[in-house]
Amino acid sequence: MQNLLGDKKAIFLFVFPTFLVFTVIIILPIFFSGYYSLLEWDGFSNGKFIGLGNYVDLFVNNTDGFTKGVKNSIVLAIVSVGIQLPISLLLALILARGVKFEKLYRTVYFIPVIISTVVIGQLWMKIYHPNYGMLNIILNKIGLGFLANEWIGNTQTALGAVFVALLWQYVGYHMLLMYASAKSISTEIYEAAKIDGANEPTLALKITIPLMKPILRVCVVFSVIGSFKAFDLIYVLTNGGPLHATEVPTTIMYTSIFAKYQYGYGSAMAIFIIVECLVATVIIQRMFGKDPVN
Amino acid sequence: MKRITKMMVSTLLVASLAVGLSACGNSSGTNSSSGTNNGTAPKAEKVTLSFWGISTAEPERSELEKIIKEWNDNNPDIQIEYSGTENNAYKTKIKTAIAAGEAPDIMYSWTGGFAQPFVEAGKILSLDEYLTDETKDQMLPGALDNITYDGKVYGITYGQMAGALYVNTELFDQYQVKIPTTFSELMTAVDTFNQNGVKPMITGMKDLWPGMWIYDMIALRESGSQLSLDALNGKASFTDPAFVNAADKIQQLVNAGAFGNGVLGMTQDEAEAEFNQGKVAMLFGGNWMASKMEADSSMVKGKIKAVRFPASEDGKGDPTEYVGGGSDAMLVSADTKYKEQAVKAATYLAKAQAEQGYLSGINLPTWKYDSLDQSQINPLAKEIMDNIITGAAGSVPVWDIYLNGADAKTHQDLVAEVFANQITPEQFGAQMQDKVNGN
Repeated sequence: MQNLLGDKKAIFLFVFPTFLVFTVIIILPIFFSGYYSLLEWDGFSNGKFIGLGNYVDLFVNNTDGFTKGVKNSIVLAIVSVGIQLPISLLLALILARGVKFEKLYRTVYFIPVIISTVVIGQLWMKIYHPNYGMLNIILNKIGLGFLANEWIGNTQTALGAVFVALLWQYVGYHMLLMYASAKSISTEIYEAAKIDGANEPTLALKITIPLMKPILRVCVVFSVIGSFKAFDLIYVLTNGGPLHATEVPTTIMYTSIFAKYQYGYGSAMAIFIIVECLVATVIIQRMFGKDPVN
Repeated sequence: MKRITKMMVSTLLVASLAVGLSACGNSSGTNSSSGTNNGTAPKAEKVTLSFWGISTAEPERSELEKIIKEWNDNNPDIQIEYSGTENNAYKTKIKTAIAAGEAPDIMYSWTGGFAQPFVEAGKILSLDEYLTDETKDQMLPGALDNITYDGKVYGITYGQMAGALYVNTELFDQYQVKIPTTFSELMTAVDTFNQNGVKPMITGMKDLWPGMWIYDMIALRESGSQLSLDALNGKASFTDPAFVNAADKIQQLVNAGAFGNGVLGMTQDEAEAEFNQGKVAMLFGGNWMASKMEADSSMVKGKIKAVRFPASEDGKGDPTEYVGGGSDAMLVSADTKYKEQAVKAATYLAKAQAEQGYLSGINLPTWKYDSLDQSQINPLAKEIMDNIITGAAGSVPVWDIYLNGADAKTHQDLVAEVFANQITPEQFGAQMQDKVNGN
């Protein structure tokens, strides 16, 4: 084994194919996009080089409300970390401590992750429907009819309504990651702590959660980056509407490229999303600090 | 553990980039490959033409397949190979393919602003030297207007659109409401229906274009086709009182509760479904909606009348003008190896689809249709053809077809803001002028 790892040829042989594929389908397109983002280009004819003009339009002139889209995605990231992850953590801790029908619950919570996003979109559209939607019907039945609303058609409530669906979709995903991590903690530690008189909340706070730190960091990164590049469910539910209330960077990018023929301008947004994700990852890594053991 | 975390994070990042960029990565090498995907030489005996369209749902798909089969049986040397993609996905697909130089020999396209970038980029074959007068004589007057750029014809239309006001005669009879012929009569009808708890009108504003159709129609009544076209061509201003008044009329309708409480949350499909259940008195929309209204599953079958949109008392427009015009076309790729055969096949496809579309109520023809069995035609489609198009003083395409991509979107957005009462009619005119004609 030691020999193999020291063999330059072997390293090259194993790494090069992946490196090649990685370069061709990931690195090169990024550089292409970076170049396109400096063009005024419709995707068909010859582009015109305009330097940083697209970026000026995005952030200084704010032509298409891109900053509002960025703000929406940041709000989404905050509620993801602040609401979605705690729910996932709570579910994971409860399940990992062993409850009845543990496997059943685990599967049920994970189902939204498996269902196609388009189906989830249709599902929530029906729930939010102003006339026959489940939400309004329930509100009417329990005497809160005055709260009934055109949930995704109203500029005031659309963003919240979309976020609820988005958060719901991935709760099970983070729960599963955390559950697996909590399950892998040795039971001996718990037994020792119990002998010392620790109760369940103390066990969770002092033992389980600290030992889950690495996976929690992964969840936070997933959650934040997932929010920055969220697209499919929003596209299905509202497509950025009504009146741009639920616009996020990716929906603006999609509209720019495919409805408005602004290829260069859209590429500038893509580059921004990449940079945004990279910066967020670095910041989150720093915030969590070094791993305790290993 | 740290390394694993790092790896996971970088994998994730990479995935995120791939999603964000896959669209952008495709377009390198714009001019490299040729337009056809078969390797036979032009002189070869058998030619296979690729044809992309948007007919994926029934009955359109099997009707189109019948048409293609007939051609393939009659022309063993020139075979058409069809590939259909769903409407919205097609828009993305055709743009990407054209940008990558991989367009099919024959392709479906919307006319006006949608096809314009392809034409300007030189990707579409100009048909002037291929189209004979004999062929042109079989088309209705003006059939090629919307696919003509700089005086050159770039496609053959087969279907045209027309906006019609569909009225549910049962509800109109029940509450003794006069089918409106003027805008004030329309407002009266709205009030009467509202008092009786019937939804007067419905529109799927979540899709943006349905409300835009209503605005463009009212604007045409206010301005007349010449002024509308002038403004769209940048020769007149959208701040003209006609366009401001039209926005004001939209808000009068909204504020009178013509569309119910919320207008922004419904898709056009949902709106049509509600109308076809007989719950709504009026719907202004495109002619193709007729086929669903006359379907066996429809609860309003036989109860719907298609009439002209009410005239504006103070408007300058002729009350017979309509929004619509040629909108579905067959284009031929400029890169095709078999220009002559492709144009011939495209002409056949256009003519056959014009007839088939009219018979089934999907499309109004841009080709002469006297030879068709009139009794086979969808009655509502015939009504639109007879009551709205025949004898009309003129027509203007709905604006999102006439304008280019970005401008079309701006127009839709601004109309939505008018519907939501977020801007005043004056602001609407000023912003249209500034954003659409300003640069």
